[in-house]
Amino acid sequence: MDLAFHDLKRHKARFIATIIGVGLLFTIVLAMNGLYRGNIADGTALIRSTNPDLWVVERYRGGPFNEQSTLPEFYHYSVQAVPGVEKASPFIYYTVERLVDGKSRHFSIVGYDVFGGLGGPKHIVAGRAIGQAHYEMVAHVKLGVHVGDRIPLGLHTYTVVGLTNDAVDGDGDPIVYLSLHDAQEVLYQPDNEEVRNERARLLQTLYGQSYLSPDQAQKLLAPLQPDTHVINAILVKLKPGVSTAEAAGMIRKWLYLNAYSTKDEVQLLLKGRLASITKQLLLFRVLLLLISVVIIALVVYTFTMEKIRSIAVMKLIGAPDWEIIRMVLEQSLFLTIVAFLVGQFVIHITYSKFPRTVLLLPGDDIVTFVVALIGGVLASILGLWHALKTQPAMALGE
Amino acid sequence: MEEEILRIDGLSKIFGAGHLEVRALEDINLSVSKGDLVALLGPSGSGKTTMLLCISLILEPTAGKIDFDGQTIFHKDGWGVDMRRLRREKIGFVFQSHNLIPFLTAKQNVLLPLNLIGIKGEKAERRARELLEYMEIAHRADALPALLSGGEQQRVAIARALANNARLVLADEPTASLDTARGTKVMEILKKIARENQTAVIVVTHDVRMVSGFDHVYHLKDGRLNLQET
Repeated sequence: MDLAFHDLKRHKARFIATIIGVGLLFTIVLAMNGLYRGNIADGTALIRSTNPDLWVVERYRGGPFNEQSTLPEFYHYSVQAVPGVEKASPFIYYTVERLVDGKSRHFSIVGYDVFGGLGGPKHIVAGRAIGQAHYEMVAHVKLGVHVGDRIPLGLHTYTVVGLTNDAVDGDGDPIVYLSLHDAQEVLYQPDNEEVRNERARLLQTLYGQSYLSPDQAQKLLAPLQPDTHVINAILVKLKPGVSTAEAAGMIRKWLYLNAYSTKDEVQLLLKGRLASITKQLLLFRVLLLLISVVIIALVVYTFTMEKIRSIAVMKLIGAPDWEIIRMVLEQSLFLTIVAFLVGQFVIHITYSKFPRTVLLLPGDDIVTFVVALIGGVLASILGLWHALKTQPAMALGE
Repeated sequence: MEEEILRIDGLSKIFGAGHLEVRALEDINLSVSKGDLVALLGPSGSGKTTMLLCISLILEPTAGKIDFDGQTIFHKDGWGVDMRRLRREKIGFVFQSHNLIPFLTAKQNVLLPLNLIGIKGEKAERRARELLEYMEIAHRADALPALLSGGEQQRVAIARALANNARLVLADEPTASLDTARGTKVMEILKKIARENQTAVIVVTHDVRMVSGFDHVYHLKDGRLNLQET
């Protein structure tokens, strides 16, 4: 006779309420698993999607994602000349907040050489790739724009010619692809008033130099304007058979730049910008799992204590200990398993509505389930301990 | 000579030690045969339940010897058997407060001891049904204990006590929580069990009115047992 089942049947309402409560707790545990994975996936998505052989960045810097890296655009010609390099493309990446469709949206801009360069979107799900040097963009579907939409950015308006679902930025926000020079312009080009003010300020400074005539000062204005031909990294594709380490070593030695493989670049992020939030989420996962186990322990303990007289009667009429252990354990495992399934169901119907990416991996679900099961068994120890030390004499009112 | 089921020689039970020592039972001698109906009478605190606990192998006596169903189950060196197994297979219990498992129906309460001795399935169902019919409570087989009256619960409890074909039924104040009419009915059932099944029945009670018709009535006072003429 399955005593646990009969007890559950008798206290249906309370068990259902408990299962829903613990199930929702498991939902949060599973959501935290997904957020943990999503955080890593989002944070490294652009690196993995772009996937060049080498990322060349400013010397002594771990850029372009983990920290800032600034290079003159023309450096890519030097990198191109390194033996073993098949292609070297300039790359720019930055985060902006602009009005899109009347709403303030946070997104990242990637600028790349649209004419055969590296760093562009890999999969276009609607429309086409950028085909001209200016005023076209490819946006991630998460931005919510459509092919043909016209989006003002800075001084110009850009037409959405294609949509991609390749990668989001480290914050889970969409990415907008522009041609390199458009991206530089959006980032660096000040508006006319600002240009005029800046020129006037510079001219005043030059006029103050006693060794310059006013005419010479006027002539110096243009070359002294800040250079906007700046990039964050150079993406490198190596010729077949060329060692990544050797090519990176050569770039470091002769060009005084830093070079990372895509794997190194991912590691830089995981050990750098993503490290603390990843640890935080991991800690939350563990804490929530512990809380779930403690709650199951309390519920099982309460249920066991309510049956303590029945347990005494069972002992008195000769029920072996394993029969009592089975009853307590079955309830604990049933509660754990059904609550976990409730949690699974709820997270699978809600995960897409989370603002950040919730990446649910079957491996994580299995590990969480096994840990929850072990937790369920551990949770029943307190109840079992009480049940087993109950004296049969209690049934006689002793 | 009738077959002896239970024999107790020089049984003592002492709680505590030194100046806190309490002699609950002293030099108890008792012999119960198959089909015997024995009453243990005594006021509250006289040691009736302690004696029942010693007989049922729940409480270890301090001294003495207990033979049950042809084997020595307790002697000066301690227990000689697996106590829980012996209770499961050969002893039935009836309690003052019925003590039915509240989340099992009447029939399931009777099925429980049957399952514990390995009788399952249709055979167990049939036996449970027969016992409930014998106790005239078969019509409430699917009711939970909370929906049964005190008398009905006690009849289910007796059916449960008989499920394992007990050689000995120990009843602890089985009528204490019932009115006189229902109490008398329960005592009649216990007598019927002793007569028809040849089961030895020991009833602990403080109610003298309930023990008429018993084979032996013992009076327990200050831990000592005296046979009262019936």
